[in-house]
Amino acid sequence: MVNPNTAYEHEEDLTSGPGYRTYEVYQRERVGETTNLIKPRQLISDSFFDDPFPLLEILRENYPCYRDWLSNRFWITRYDDVTSVFADDQNFETRPKCWFYDAVGYGRDLWEHLPVQWAFEKKIDNHIEEVTLEAMSFFQEGNTDLSKDFAARIPMALWGKVLNLSTEKLASFSKMFWAMQCGTNWNPELRESGRRAMEMLTAFLSPIFSERQKFPEDDMISAIAQLELPDAPPTVEDLVVTLLERDYQTLHGGLSNLWFNLLSEPDQMAKVKEDNRLMKFAWLETLRHSPPVLSADRFAKQEVERFGRLIPKGGLLHCSSAAANRDPRYFHDPESFIVGRSDLCQREPRGQYRADGLPSGIAFGLGKPSIHPAVPKERPRSLYALIRDTAVTASLVLLDSTDTLIISRGEIPVISCRQLGEMRTCWQLPVTR
Amino acid sequence: MALDSVESFFDEVFSFDIGGEKVEKEFSFMPVGEAVDMGFASDGTPLFDPRIFDSGEFSRNPYPYYKILRDHYPVYHDQLHNCYFVTRYEDITECYFDEIGFNTIPKGSSTGVLGNTQLELSGIEHRRRRNIYGRHLVGAALTKRIHALQDLAVELIEEWWAMDSPKGVEVNKTTKTVTIELGQAFANAFPISVVAQVLGIPQEARQQFTWWYDAMMSGLAGSDTHHEGLEARQDLEQYVEELVESRRKSPTYLTDKDGNEICLDIISELCNSEIDGSVMSTEEITSFIALVVGGGGETTRGAIMNLWYLLLQNPEQFSEIQKNEELWDVAFHEMLRHSTSIGGQPRHNTYDITMHGVRVPAGSLMHMVDVSANHDERIFKDPEVFNIFRPDLYSGKILRSGHNKEGKCSHMAFGVGPHLCPGAWISHQETVVGSQVLNQTFKNVRINTDRMPKDIDGVSLAPIGLRSIRELWLDFDLPE
Repeated sequence: MVNPNTAYEHEEDLTSGPGYRTYEVYQRERVGETTNLIKPRQLISDSFFDDPFPLLEILRENYPCYRDWLSNRFWITRYDDVTSVFADDQNFETRPKCWFYDAVGYGRDLWEHLPVQWAFEKKIDNHIEEVTLEAMSFFQEGNTDLSKDFAARIPMALWGKVLNLSTEKLASFSKMFWAMQCGTNWNPELRESGRRAMEMLTAFLSPIFSERQKFPEDDMISAIAQLELPDAPPTVEDLVVTLLERDYQTLHGGLSNLWFNLLSEPDQMAKVKEDNRLMKFAWLETLRHSPPVLSADRFAKQEVERFGRLIPKGGLLHCSSAAANRDPRYFHDPESFIVGRSDLCQREPRGQYRADGLPSGIAFGLGKPSIHPAVPKERPRSLYALIRDTAVTASLVLLDSTDTLIISRGEIPVISCRQLGEMRTCWQLPVTR
Repeated sequence: MALDSVESFFDEVFSFDIGGEKVEKEFSFMPVGEAVDMGFASDGTPLFDPRIFDSGEFSRNPYPYYKILRDHYPVYHDQLHNCYFVTRYEDITECYFDEIGFNTIPKGSSTGVLGNTQLELSGIEHRRRRNIYGRHLVGAALTKRIHALQDLAVELIEEWWAMDSPKGVEVNKTTKTVTIELGQAFANAFPISVVAQVLGIPQEARQQFTWWYDAMMSGLAGSDTHHEGLEARQDLEQYVEELVESRRKSPTYLTDKDGNEICLDIISELCNSEIDGSVMSTEEITSFIALVVGGGGETTRGAIMNLWYLLLQNPEQFSEIQKNEELWDVAFHEMLRHSTSIGGQPRHNTYDITMHGVRVPAGSLMHMVDVSANHDERIFKDPEVFNIFRPDLYSGKILRSGHNKEGKCSHMAFGVGPHLCPGAWISHQETVVGSQVLNQTFKNVRINTDRMPKDIDGVSLAPIGLRSIRELWLDFDLPE
């Protein structure tokens, strides 16, 4: 029988201590509230990334704040809800990309300093046309790939101008920059190469940074090197982190999706050809219809009751712009790409992503709209406006230079996501001129 | 021609096969104890792909992966599942004792089906509630009921010999051999019968009770059968409501073998207990029951199955037990160290912390991986070996404080600290008493390898992996 030496005794609790009380929260799901129309595994399946919209519609229409146990997050999918989280800095925070590298404290993000933004804006405005023409000079006669030769090239070439790097240096920079951005991800291999790229980029930029500390030019590196900061002088690590935190490479995704939409919808293309000014609306509609960044994560800074749930401190809200941008509560016929649609805000939105009482497409990673009611003269344009203008200018240069541009015969380009967490864009867009 | 030299970069970025690897990934099955190659960092550190956690390979062969985590990422940040894994014995112990720093507030995936349970309470509230039913599961109340456990076990075995036995027992009179599947014949029903008895569920409702239990267990964690789990929980609640009404008026008792009352059954006790000056609600009582059922059923079933599976694969150890019955206790503990069926417990850090150089923001989900602690070679030598005689495992009285001295450590299958499994003692008793009764019936018992699930080589027996084995086919000599 059971060994008497291992007698069962009722032990007194060893943890008598101060009267710490847990708060008791009751939010158990009842039978009528189960989320059985969707399985969390579907949300990280390949089919979801090929076409996320059917599942997102299920979430948006049935479970606007869906508790995903597998990936430990809440999915927010309605337009109002997404923008309300996005605008609520009191309750929700964005974690810096450094956190994904477990490298918080590596350097400081110095973007908030106006000289940095001025340098950035000036370089882009001055060079966008030149850079676009340069990219187009590489187009093959006849067929070309707009995604690779146009949409992907322009942002990188612009970085060359913004940082004032020579051609050879830009090639090395691009590689490291891209790897560093791609590594802010769950994928261990990308993460590892990103972490390495971050260190290499620091070493690579270090001599340039020191040089421009002594002999400043008019670029962004010089602007950062010349900053007078209250706590400690700027370092090359600060420069790297400032670059890391910018989402600029998504301009590639935006441009590619814009041209994919225009080329797939000849009616809409005809409208733009007839009136060039509509290119801006085509861009805004692309941000709504096919944003390259599907979602953004926010973390609850404290326990907060929202969407009929108690969101615990530290809880992750996965805000889906893809779902919100097709919310039929706001957009009529949301699946269609319509240039100049009347239910879409046509200028830079404010605060909760609206202006003139109309919603705009939510496009994470393509510049935050201004928080100022009107853009003050002493500040550069918001990133939202700057990137919009850049994309429109580049697209108009392309449009003006060619009479006909069609998707190459026999090719069926698609918008897709190559990896969970990477942008969703048209990676191959073969066209014939 | 400024962009010409960027050409190589673009070729590289776009050489990515667009139809290639995405998020879903099939990991190939590896020989037990070897991890699949997930790549290496430039300094030679193995990389760890979080998709492995969702793979079939991981659930059958988890230990080499936990070893990578223990050795290289003692606090692993899983960005795919938005959580952290703590895998070393000493770290887990420290976290379990720090009830304030690593809280249990209800963000756990079990709340959907079980309701708010002890698992999610801390501090005074946890202790008050736990003390109400804790005493039923330990001490004299438990020892006095050993007879009831034996009776239940004997009853179950007697059913084997009935005509048209529902237990799937096959008797071959020519070879004088009996073949059973241990789960179907014994282990599935035994623990749940014990739980129903301790709770005071009337005999006639036990079959229904077993069904609710099955549905609730398979509906945990937002799984595909979550909805059915909730329905079962709702039915159980309705049933318990009536039961509670009557027990509030006329409580019922558990008895010893002479029919003397030992104490109130758990439901009666809960009905008549007050917390902070008010009686417990039916909802609270149902949650208690759900937890006791969840904790006392599946886990003990797994313990019985795994214990026999491991012992029969180590016949020299099994034959020592035949000579010395006291070794059942030791074997029970070594089995739990080697192959427990509860992977670990979730905690959330109350404050921003840095552990092993990893900054964990407050409110993050941190998994304390008990099965990894049990295989921590910093504590247990050759942890993959099942050895009931191992000198470094403490197998004495189960202590809330754990045991870590004189070269002996307690295993982590029951956890340690305030949330030490309250069913540890009863589970121990059930497994040991049940196994002893079985052992008296089994003559020349051996695994029927033909019918057992096989490992990837198609020959050797499948490993236990993360959970308990689902079936165990046994042959033994027909009793005279």
